[in-house]
Amino acid sequence: MASHIVTAFENELRDINRKVAEMGGLAEKSVVDSIDALIKRDTILAQRVIASDGRLDQLQREIEEDAITLIAKRQPLAVDLREVVSAIRISNDLERIGDLAKNTAKRVLALKGEYQAAALLRGVEHMSEIVLEQLKEVLDAFGARDATRAMAVWKRDGAVDDLYTSLFRELLTYMMEDPRQITMCTHLLFAAKNVERIGDHATNIAETVHYLVIGEQLVDERPKSDTSSLTAVTYPKS
Amino acid sequence: MANFAVHAAADSLSNAKPKMNIKNLSFYYGDSKALKDISLPLYEQRVTALIGPSGCGKSTLLRILNRIYELYPGQRAEGEVTLDGENILDPKLDANLLRSKVGMVFQKPTPFPMTIYDNIAFGVRLYMKPSRAEMDEIVESALTRTALWGEVKDRLHTSALGLSGGQQQRLCIARTVAIKPEVVLFDEPTSALDPISTAKIEELIDELKRDFTIVIVTHNMQQAARVADQTAFMYLGDLIEAGPTTGMFSNPKDNRTLDYITGRFG
Amino acid sequence: MIDQGLYQRRKLRNRFHMTMSLLTAVFGMTWLVLILGMLLVKGVGGLSLAVFTEMTPPPGSDGGLLNAIVGSLILTTLGVAIGTPIAILAGTYMAEYGRYSKLTNVVRFINDILLSAPSIVIGLFVYGIMVRPMGNFSGIAGAVALAILVVPVVVRTTEDMLLLVPNQLREAAAALGAPRWTVIRYVSYRAAKTGIITGILLAIARISGETAPLLFTALNNQFWSTNVLAPMPSLPVVIFQFALSPYEDWQRLAWTGALLITVAVLTLSVLARVLVSKEAK
Repeated sequence: MASHIVTAFENELRDINRKVAEMGGLAEKSVVDSIDALIKRDTILAQRVIASDGRLDQLQREIEEDAITLIAKRQPLAVDLREVVSAIRISNDLERIGDLAKNTAKRVLALKGEYQAAALLRGVEHMSEIVLEQLKEVLDAFGARDATRAMAVWKRDGAVDDLYTSLFRELLTYMMEDPRQITMCTHLLFAAKNVERIGDHATNIAETVHYLVIGEQLVDERPKSDTSSLTAVTYPKS
Repeated sequence: MANFAVHAAADSLSNAKPKMNIKNLSFYYGDSKALKDISLPLYEQRVTALIGPSGCGKSTLLRILNRIYELYPGQRAEGEVTLDGENILDPKLDANLLRSKVGMVFQKPTPFPMTIYDNIAFGVRLYMKPSRAEMDEIVESALTRTALWGEVKDRLHTSALGLSGGQQQRLCIARTVAIKPEVVLFDEPTSALDPISTAKIEELIDELKRDFTIVIVTHNMQQAARVADQTAFMYLGDLIEAGPTTGMFSNPKDNRTLDYITGRFG
Repeated sequence: MIDQGLYQRRKLRNRFHMTMSLLTAVFGMTWLVLILGMLLVKGVGGLSLAVFTEMTPPPGSDGGLLNAIVGSLILTTLGVAIGTPIAILAGTYMAEYGRYSKLTNVVRFINDILLSAPSIVIGLFVYGIMVRPMGNFSGIAGAVALAILVVPVVVRTTEDMLLLVPNQLREAAAALGAPRWTVIRYVSYRAAKTGIITGILLAIARISGETAPLLFTALNNQFWSTNVLAPMPSLPVVIFQFALSPYEDWQRLAWTGALLITVAVLTLSVLARVLVSKEAK
């Protein structure tokens, strides 16, 4: 596309985009590190994840201010307006993803000295691998302004939800079997919920990319299959 | 040709009736073709904005709708423009009669060199012979309608040239609506005004559209986005794209429209 | 850095031109002041009530300029009354109806020639078309000659002033559905009013001092006469005749008459100026 007549406008839009890209990288790394810290019970890494959240918050504020200034100054229209709105929305999602990673990292600190069962972690690990792939994919789709790739991510969110529901059931079963695992399992449950929420934010971003590229809001119903709220496990009769 | 189906999403045009209809309209200044085969409906109780770079033909199009172009020699329109189904380009149709139905407000305020009162009475007297009291009433209601009454009621019989630019423009609008036209054309009505006066005029246009079909030429994209229900983008004498304003400004279909509204024109 | 030599030279040149302009302006003014001074010195002495109440005298006896003043008023009024409507209508055609027609260009060209035609030629022309066929000099012939002098001035100013009226104003009136004539009468004329009146005042100023066209048309009359079909006296012709005579009392009256005309013309010019400056505000 031809560039704007006003060079400063062009530069401002590019700056905002650069910051969103930076946030994407940071958020992705936070998620990777938080899961790593959880699996390896690495409190130092967890501390680092917690500390790095400040930068994400700061970038999100900057993007919002830049976007507001740009709207006031330039009154962007059409694709420019969508760029700015998308930047605000995506930076919000990324900031939330950062918070969720931070929450997971905090749980690593809380679990210090707790009973460890590698088997319990496998489900969370598997789920986060899928969600990370989703996040990476959607950020690439945003970078490439590729609505098709974004939609593919959007459609796959159902699988993450299914995974979460079965993980929920699994952890509940563990807790019933061995009450010593309740602390661990509860924290893992929350960690898994965090990962599932990160997946939701990735889906949000996919919707934003669709809006950014196509110019219309996605009106279809989201593929939701998180049924954990309806899930109950009956206490095994002994 | 514009494709209206494209912008079908929830819009304010879906149940609007066309008041005027421009069909395959071409226009010539001498030998040069200024408008090329334009077709566009203008809806009742809706505002249509014509946008486009200077020289794209948007003012020319506006000036055909009340045949004001006929004041100058060597200008010629081909095609059809209907008002309630009647072709207004038919030379048998009296231009002055047409102009009583299709009023126009110009870029620069054009108060006549007479009193505020007479500025309004002038047009009214062309069509009616009201008594003194009736005329007073017409003048007051026209000025009230344009939110000018409070500002000028104590100096109705002083020269209109003593008003501020914004007041003069509102007087011109009052003068136009006083003769109860059906369509009101605005040719960049706020380009000579400050932001406050501009806001007042825009408010007025919003108010007037309840009774009139309104067409406005503007260079200010935000203004089109604010006041118009339908927006038409013109470029080099062609109508590139037309449709509901929301669609035009958030997601135009044609790249030339996109380049223009986002400030990318070379 | 500024080249000081260049700067000084420019300052010097500037001062030189300022001085020269001032001197030429003073040179021009000097003659005007001299003429007015001379007129005052020579003319004021002759001013008396008799000038305005008594007829032009035979040489050697007392008298005034009454018949000449009244004759001038009649001739000027008639001239303006005949010339102005024609001129305004012509100017209106040129600026409003026929703005883009070839005829307008032709008329404008001819009008400009007429504007600079020597007035004596016009006097001769009217002599040819009126005085000769009618068999005698007459006030009406003089008025027609003056009217012919009025026309080009008023045509020009009317056209110019109407052309200055912004087209947007006409469009605005037409957009209300006003027919052409209504637009012209209520909008164009109103907007150009002071300009047109100024043109008429300047035309009056011009013809009230004309002598040459009257010599061949209205001629002169020693006596009181308001009959426009008979020869009619006028201030310029009387001045012309008395000033060239050997009689001292006639010469004195000529000076007084000249002073009267000058004051009248000056007043009209000032009035025109005032009108224009009022318009500019």
